Amino acid sequence: MIGDIFFQLSVRSVKLNFTRSILASIGIVIGVVAISTMGMLGTNMALQVEDQLSESANTIAITADAIRMGPPGTGSSSSSSSSGITKAQLAKIRSAVGENGTVIPLYSTSTQFTRGTIQGRGTIYGMNPADVNEFLTLGNGTNIAGINEALVGMTLAESMGIDIGDRIKISSASEGPPTNNTASASRATVTVVGIIDPRGTTADSVSTDNGIVVSKEWYTAQYGGKDQYTQVNVLVTDVDQIPEIEEEINSAVNTDKKKQSLRISDASSQLETISDTLSTLTLFCLAIGGISLVVAAVSIFNVMMMSVNERVQEIGILLSIGTEKGEVRRMFLYEAFILGILGAGLGGLMSIVIGYSVVDAMIGTTEYFFMPASISYVPLGMLIGMVVCVLSGLYPAWRASSMDPIDALRGD
Amino acid sequence: MSDTPLIQLVDVTKTYHLESGDFMALRGVSLDIMENDFVAIMGPSGSGKSTIMNQLGILDVPTSGKLSIDGRDVSTMTPLERTHLRRDTIGYIFQKFYLIPLLSAYENVEYPLILKNKTRDTTGRTAAMLEAVGIDKEMSEHRPNQLSGGQQQRVAIARALVNDPKILLCDEPTGNLDKKTGFQIMDILCNLHRKGKTVILVTHDPKVAEYALRTIRLDDGRIAEES
Repeated sequence: MIGDIFFQLSVRSVKLNFTRSILASIGIVIGVVAISTMGMLGTNMALQVEDQLSESANTIAITADAIRMGPPGTGSSSSSSSSGITKAQLAKIRSAVGENGTVIPLYSTSTQFTRGTIQGRGTIYGMNPADVNEFLTLGNGTNIAGINEALVGMTLAESMGIDIGDRIKISSASEGPPTNNTASASRATVTVVGIIDPRGTTADSVSTDNGIVVSKEWYTAQYGGKDQYTQVNVLVTDVDQIPEIEEEINSAVNTDKKKQSLRISDASSQLETISDTLSTLTLFCLAIGGISLVVAAVSIFNVMMMSVNERVQEIGILLSIGTEKGEVRRMFLYEAFILGILGAGLGGLMSIVIGYSVVDAMIGTTEYFFMPASISYVPLGMLIGMVVCVLSGLYPAWRASSMDPIDALRGD
Repeated sequence: MSDTPLIQLVDVTKTYHLESGDFMALRGVSLDIMENDFVAIMGPSGSGKSTIMNQLGILDVPTSGKLSIDGRDVSTMTPLERTHLRRDTIGYIFQKFYLIPLLSAYENVEYPLILKNKTRDTTGRTAAMLEAVGIDKEMSEHRPNQLSGGQQQRVAIARALVNDPKILLCDEPTGNLDKKTGFQIMDILCNLHRKGKTVILVTHDPKVAEYALRTIRLDDGRIAEES
């Protein structure tokens, strides 16, 4: 292409009208920057949210919640025949999961905590201390070792001023389902041995941030309901296997086709909804960026028409000495392409600088900026800019090639 | 040399449809031009000189009648075929030179070769053509606007000759030149005729027409006199 005489003519034409060409290309620069920056902003937001959610994306949550998942009309939607996940059901779940993940049964209820004179409310979780490190991250302190030891969520610890070594009184009055008031007063006090790092919003609804984690023995001694778990979490090894594992569990525990006894859910549907919303938002932002490219297209079209009109006689010469119409068209399309290269090249460079600053300012992190999904908006924006330029040159190029050589030679 | 005319016009008419009504620029012109002929076409303004040159240069087609060039009927050819015939058979020399302003003198001469061969000239033909018309290497690097009228016309002649066309169409080739340069250009054309080219020139100047073997006078779209 570089050696093509028509490309040489186009380059010289652009050079001859350099200021005008650069001014026209600025429109493309703005368009490319707008598209790239908007695209990168949307993608960085999506990546950040996905990253946050993906922390619990490997989790399948199984609850004894009695909400019916079957088709409408197959029974009541408010039945609460189940009071928890039974030992037998847990065994079936373990068997269905097999080597594909870790099964973590949980007890939980809402209750009141007291430290000295300070009172607070939150959720208390009872679990096997051996599962703690699989499921939670300790910010401070150690795991539960003794029966009266507990871990406290960061939010609760901050709001009640709880520190490691503090003793907390826990009300035996539960708001949850297991209520067996056999607990003795001595067991209602626990010693804090660790603070749990924030989990944030998770798909499994286990929010330890404003809660306390105790051993399952302490929990059942306090609230009863032994072997009647509130929830079972399955941490799968490979997230791609979630649908199959869910199906396995479902066929193992929900044997009654008319009445589903356990509800099985995961983060994927939540992730899908958020991803869809963010994709729509990104597309909307891209469309706004696209408007600037439409303006740029008009500007390129205008400059190309000026170039054709100024070179009427030259077009006449070319046609009269044996240049094919297609070759004249090619010459003007090259010119539009050169304007596109100038605009898209400059736009691409500026997109990286401006996009980086905008993402940093709006999202607060550039952690995801150079990820392929994000940075690929730069070449995409450049490509769109170049395509817009060439498309804008189509009509002027056609007009030039359709001129009558005799009229064109006269300069008409 | 064949007895078939290189160019043959049979009862050619050309009508332009204008807002003020139809205007007939050529009215049944019949003419044979043999290979290696040297024809001068003369006539007053509006007599049809430019129209007949456009027909001979295949820039336009007759409204009726038949025009054959190098044995091919142009009215039956596609626009692309006409473009290729023009590129390969005809060398056009204009009064206003009509060099491509963005190209150097060398590139202007090389241009028709590139059109034909789709590649840059590596044979030295361009340089040889420029040398033949008296344009040296340094001058050939100049753009047209850096050359005098005479130099530009020499470059235009070299451009017209570079594809070795059978026909040279010259539209007032000395019209924009001083007398001395005009004669130099005519000497080049005569020399080309001697080398076998068919030269057709349109001129107002009887002195220029004297170089031709025969002169055709047009008047009101008809051949008024042939000598």
